[in-house]
Amino acid sequence: MNLIESYLAKAAGLKQVTAGEDISCRVSYVAAHDVTAPIAIKMFREIGVKKVFDPERIILIVDHIYPAATEKARDSVWMMNDFAREFGVKLYHRGEGVIHQLMYEKHRAAPGELVVIADSHTGTCGGYGAVGVGVGSTELAAAMATGKLDLEVPEAVQIYLTGKLPSNVFGKDLILYMGSIFGTDYLTDRGLIISGPGITEFSVAERMTVCNMGIEIGSMITLFGTEERETGVLETREIDLSRLEPMTAKPFSPVNVVPVREVAGLPITQVVIGSCTNGRLSDMEQAAKAFSGKKVHPEVNTLIVPASKEILDGMEARGWCKIFRDAGATVLNPGCGSCFGAHEGLISARDVVVSTTNRNFPGRMGSKKGNIYLASPATAAASALAGKITVPKAECER
Amino acid sequence: MKPIRGKVFVLGDDVDTDQILPGYAMAERYEDMGKFAMAGLSGKSFRDIAAPGCIIVAGRNFGCGSSREQAPIALRQADVAMVVAKGFARIFRRNAINIGLPVFAADISDRLKDGDEIEVDLENGIVTAGGEILQFAPLSENTRKTLEYGGLIPRVRDELHV
Repeated sequence: MNLIESYLAKAAGLKQVTAGEDISCRVSYVAAHDVTAPIAIKMFREIGVKKVFDPERIILIVDHIYPAATEKARDSVWMMNDFAREFGVKLYHRGEGVIHQLMYEKHRAAPGELVVIADSHTGTCGGYGAVGVGVGSTELAAAMATGKLDLEVPEAVQIYLTGKLPSNVFGKDLILYMGSIFGTDYLTDRGLIISGPGITEFSVAERMTVCNMGIEIGSMITLFGTEERETGVLETREIDLSRLEPMTAKPFSPVNVVPVREVAGLPITQVVIGSCTNGRLSDMEQAAKAFSGKKVHPEVNTLIVPASKEILDGMEARGWCKIFRDAGATVLNPGCGSCFGAHEGLISARDVVVSTTNRNFPGRMGSKKGNIYLASPATAAASALAGKITVPKAECER
Repeated sequence: MKPIRGKVFVLGDDVDTDQILPGYAMAERYEDMGKFAMAGLSGKSFRDIAAPGCIIVAGRNFGCGSSREQAPIALRQADVAMVVAKGFARIFRRNAINIGLPVFAADISDRLKDGDEIEVDLENGIVTAGGEILQFAPLSENTRKTLEYGGLIPRVRDELHV
């Protein structure tokens, strides 16, 4: 069995599983946010059970639209509040941060544990070895009632990493590059295991970035394995990290990827640094180093979105918030912020954005004609300063 | 399960959830999702551009992107009878089945244009289009069972003896 199979076998209480087999797994954590929880709550009430399987293991988080941008968004928060009081589950509703970061900080699953979140970026927890499966609201409601998730064991594809990463290349560049290899759906219903000696080049934060975007190439479960080569996989592809360079996804797909140098010089109007993909302390450090003592280009709105309050505290303690403000950037509250077109930085048809978030679909941040380029925080910060898409300097320290 | 018959509405590859239901619509009332079905594609409500009971026929990776169940809910509320696509993103596919909206994997979008009529026999995996009978893999027994219940919630109720 490969790593995913052995983890799933354990969660299902079986000695052995094989790809394609339908199994029922015990879940370690079940979570939802303000976009997916309201329907999950409605569906849970339709099931009609009197209690959840384990209130300690169910977490509701208001991250997508906090503070509420509309009355209806506020209604969703009240619905979550009522449910949390009635069933005794954990609720975060004071802007503590994005669900995938808070699960890491406050409810961290051990390697191999199954985490079920009603959000497509649940794979993020594969960065610390947990098995994250993203589901919709109805499936989440069923998991809250039963503590179980039915799934089919996926075939797994292995990425085997070798070599040393150039200093201006990061986890974000790796996952974008992987998108250019696999396209949007090669990994649909499959798992992705990243292994090999090259994994030591990536911190947990960067591994979380890579796993966060596994869904953009269709992956059902994405996780980092060991430095050893996995056996029992469908196929293995090797990537020599020393050959990578800064990458960007052009409009309108996360897999429409080219080296940053190919689009360098394109004038931009907005930069977003943060989110569940790249809003961790090491990401903020890249931006703070770049912005220190400098000003962002006068034509560029620069929005900084830390993934959690804990990260924002760290930024403040290090003086980075002041650096960002002095540079002309705006530090927003922790949460999903500008990523998904509901509030805090919508764009019009005239905008060209460099963003460290995970999606650049048409209309993702507002206008369907607005252009979004996805890139690493180092690329985004260099671009914000120059007012145009810019390759980050090779000497920027990791 | 009875075969499903309807006029088709043809879409391309990689139709993502921001097109099926844009982010701004997600805070709307549950009952109102249908008004925003496919609003991310044309800006118009799907109810105004497609016939009631239509079958969406698409290319690869339909429903990619977000886990928002509001996307298939919006399609169902807009009277979409089912979605046939060359391929589906996993979470969308499961969401659709869990709310009782049939989805079926078949590569037929290239041979059809808007308004053509087709019939899909989910149980036997047969699509009838333009007089031709096309064979595809039938739905799995597990999926069919959930659809026969009308979705996952009635199935779970039954299994938990609620």
